[in-house]
Amino acid sequence: MKHLIKSGIAALGVALMATGALASDWTPPGPIKLMIAFRAGGGADTQARLIAEELENRMGWKFIPEQVTGKGGLNMANALKSQPNDGTAIGLAVTETFGYNMAAANAGMSPEDFTGLTTTAGFQMGVVAPASKGWNSFDDMIAAAKSGQSIRFGVMSPKLADLAYLLGKSQGVEFNIVSVKGGKAVLNGVNAGDIDIGFMAGIQAKGVAAGDLVNLASGLSTPLIQTPDAPTLADLGVNFNANGYFVFVGPAGMPAEARDALSKAISDVVSDENTKAGGLIKRAFGGAATISGEALSKLMASEFASSGTLMEAASE
Amino acid sequence: MPAPSKNNLYLGLFTLSFALILLTVWIPMDTQTGLIEKVRRQVTIGDALAPTVAGLFLIVGGLLLILTERNAPGQSTSSMSGLIFASAAIFIIAASLIVMRWTGPLAVWMVNALQGGDLEYRLLRDNAPWKYLGFLLGGTMMISGLVGLVEGQLRLRAILIAVAAVIAMIFVYDVPFDDLLLPPNGDV
Amino acid sequence: MGTLDYIWMGILSVFQGPELFSILGLPVSVTLVMIFAGFLIGIAVGATPGLAGPIAMAIALPILISVFGYTPDALLPVLGFLIGVMKGATIGGAVPAILFNTPGTPDAFMTTLDGYPMTQRGKAKKALRVAHFSSASGDTFSDIVLFVCAPFLALLVEAYLDLPEKTALLILSLSFIATVIGGSPAKGLISTGLGLLAVFIGTGEDFYPRLSMDSQTLSRGFPISTAILGVLIIGAVLKELQDLWFQKRTSGTVPRQRDEGDQRLHWADIRRLLPFIGRSAVIGTVIGALPGIGSTLAATLGYTVGRSRYAKLKRPDAPDFGKGAAEGIAATEAANSSVSGANLIPVLSLGIPGNAAAVFLILAAESIGGFNPGPSVFRFTADEVNPELVVAFGLFTAMMIANLLNWTIGGVFMRSMGVMVRIPKHILLPSVLLLTLTAIYVQETRMEAIWFTLGFGVLGYLMRTLNISPLPFVIAFILGSKLEDSARQAFAATGGDPWFLFTHPIAAAFMAASVGIILYSARRKTPTL
Repeated sequence: MKHLIKSGIAALGVALMATGALASDWTPPGPIKLMIAFRAGGGADTQARLIAEELENRMGWKFIPEQVTGKGGLNMANALKSQPNDGTAIGLAVTETFGYNMAAANAGMSPEDFTGLTTTAGFQMGVVAPASKGWNSFDDMIAAAKSGQSIRFGVMSPKLADLAYLLGKSQGVEFNIVSVKGGKAVLNGVNAGDIDIGFMAGIQAKGVAAGDLVNLASGLSTPLIQTPDAPTLADLGVNFNANGYFVFVGPAGMPAEARDALSKAISDVVSDENTKAGGLIKRAFGGAATISGEALSKLMASEFASSGTLMEAASE
Repeated sequence: MPAPSKNNLYLGLFTLSFALILLTVWIPMDTQTGLIEKVRRQVTIGDALAPTVAGLFLIVGGLLLILTERNAPGQSTSSMSGLIFASAAIFIIAASLIVMRWTGPLAVWMVNALQGGDLEYRLLRDNAPWKYLGFLLGGTMMISGLVGLVEGQLRLRAILIAVAAVIAMIFVYDVPFDDLLLPPNGDV
Repeated sequence: MGTLDYIWMGILSVFQGPELFSILGLPVSVTLVMIFAGFLIGIAVGATPGLAGPIAMAIALPILISVFGYTPDALLPVLGFLIGVMKGATIGGAVPAILFNTPGTPDAFMTTLDGYPMTQRGKAKKALRVAHFSSASGDTFSDIVLFVCAPFLALLVEAYLDLPEKTALLILSLSFIATVIGGSPAKGLISTGLGLLAVFIGTGEDFYPRLSMDSQTLSRGFPISTAILGVLIIGAVLKELQDLWFQKRTSGTVPRQRDEGDQRLHWADIRRLLPFIGRSAVIGTVIGALPGIGSTLAATLGYTVGRSRYAKLKRPDAPDFGKGAAEGIAATEAANSSVSGANLIPVLSLGIPGNAAAVFLILAAESIGGFNPGPSVFRFTADEVNPELVVAFGLFTAMMIANLLNWTIGGVFMRSMGVMVRIPKHILLPSVLLLTLTAIYVQETRMEAIWFTLGFGVLGYLMRTLNISPLPFVIAFILGSKLEDSARQAFAATGGDPWFLFTHPIAAAFMAASVGIILYSARRKTPTL
């Protein structure tokens, strides 16, 4: 008992010290391993590398970026989980990795195994069609489907496949749901005519602006910034959404000063539109969205917990 | 005319048995979705189909080897000595890799033991001279070992050449670049 | 944006890229310098027995990526360098073949047949000039065919091939590659099957990494570079070391030949050689355009056709083929050099690599990102620029520049490379082994990748020992995931039609052709090269 009290006091002391220490005092004890859950050369990978570059300039920290791709970010999560939690190993993935994917994989991982640092940007997830199809609105597309045209719906993750299925169900049509690898592949498929419509998370911005692509609907709970008139999934009778963010995480139990220092440094970079990283995020996602600390932990936990309902709804 | 080699026959039989194990044991036990599966009321291709196709390639190849190419000319003449050489070479490479992996951490541990202190190799992996220890020792061992194996003896010249080659590689891959890590520094 | 605009942008992208330095006020772009460096290194590597273009490409790739980063700007300098190496190694390979009777690259074997006898007769310089002229001509011809054909083929593919047809085309290519490379259809099929199996481990659509036997190590699958470099390079190094070990180094001194008489290449010589060069260039280009049939076959065919032609025409006092006929060198070199350009036709229009050099170009493009060789490259979008198309035309420009280098300085540089043969192979090869492993580690940063590479190296060694060609393995590894993805997509897109490969006429024709190829090659009693 005495021993327990003693160690309790010691733990309290550590906790007090930890919160008392200023985040700005923190420096990583060694080079930081940055695990990127996206293919090299894509927008997400570029984002991670630009952020690291800017942090090296600003803070003098040293980053060593590394690609750990596959399985919807779970490969990265799995590798990151067992890394030291002193702030020398962090990773970039999407919130979906820690929500739907982790729940669906059922591989013994949960958001509890990670320390959320900060999100960088939210998806501008739209249901996109090429302008050449002649559909100006979501209803045009549904009308075409109802007149007997089979519609191929490109998606880049199982969660989005579920949403596409529910969207078809609520509209009374059956889409042929085609899974491809990554947002770039959806764009290429739509351009090549291999698929008719698809979910795109921001990559469509340039094409929509040029008039080659049309945002038929918003995959989010809110309207799209670029096409505010397009209906949301809720408007179309689907009670789920594809809200999601790029998120930096570390292994579970990261000391508070490391966590705060890392999340502050990263969100400062992405919120500054004059940095290369911030500029990229402004162009593709309409601006930074930084959720960190307690709010982020809550977001990750609730996505994980609620994924079951979506999976059930989609298997009916 | 010498009797035709039996190598193609053996290779064919080996391929067939491997493919059968693949198709009947490995794939069914080690994939979660079957050849096809039903999700969201749609039938989709499962994870077992693609490896099954790979297995079929092996089956067709193995059968052709036994049925039409059993006596084909130009078969390999496998020899015991070749096997010995290959095992020796692979042993040298593997041993060198193990040395490469553990020299750095071991050196740090010894320094800690001798001088006290709580250095960690992980945090030193980007600092000279620590980061070069494993690569230098393991790399030298690998090159000089292989040269020695071919020459039939380990000469000082081989070791010197190996050291020079490894140092040259450090100058190619590490010195000019900030963000490249030599083995084993990404693992620790 | 018209076609001409794209071509012009492609050319500019090479010349106007980031400036490295300037000569007399003219800025020299980094891409130009990289092509130049790649070309010189390629010649040196090709001229060194035991090394070859792919080794140089493998070792250079991580360095190049580290220098230029993972941005689209990196594509042209890196790919330009690789193209330089590819072209340089092709002509470099003839040097030791002619001077020392040891082919620097496998393709150059036929060159030894007439090249070395010419050296023995004191005509070494002339033989090198013939080799260089023929090689450069064949190469240039092949490139022009590539520039014309690839975009059209790609447009045809995009216009007429839907997902089921694309799947069937991949199956056809794999069957073709399996049965044609390496002389044994059975072994080719085994090689292909193993390559497919390897790429399917740890991947898949489900969240459980299939065939990973629950191990953390296998769950991320095999990185593409470990499979390619392991089988192609580590396997070759192990095999070559073993051969050296067998020979126990019968190290005689290299005999030196003196040059006698007229070494120049006269206009009359060229006129005499041109028909042979032309014929071989066409043969090499046609063969190169088919995925998977290597330059060795082209060289053999070019040589054989040249020989029968020559037997009818030759003056009685001229040397026969095999006894030091310049025409023999010309026929061989033009054929094997014209493969390299045409080999990029299936790469750029279909995304299907045909030889080791093409494999490395795809590996580089995959590692850097932003350029996916395949039909989607050739979308001539009007409103917004298709950056991949600019890169494609940039590549064409780079190839033309490399050709120009080949014609101007290639010959001189090549003739000075005779010294490379003196580097002892048994010291060079272990260094290459460590270099390759290091190159992989630098990119993958985990020891597991090195162990995978070593494992694939052992596989490559065993395949070589058993006379199984490793190239189908590598190509199957690259195409495997593409095949699975497109099959899944085709199946889903057709609403779950299990017969999607047979209900679409073009797809059905491709499938019939692949079955036909396998049956035909199985029935053939004596497999040819």
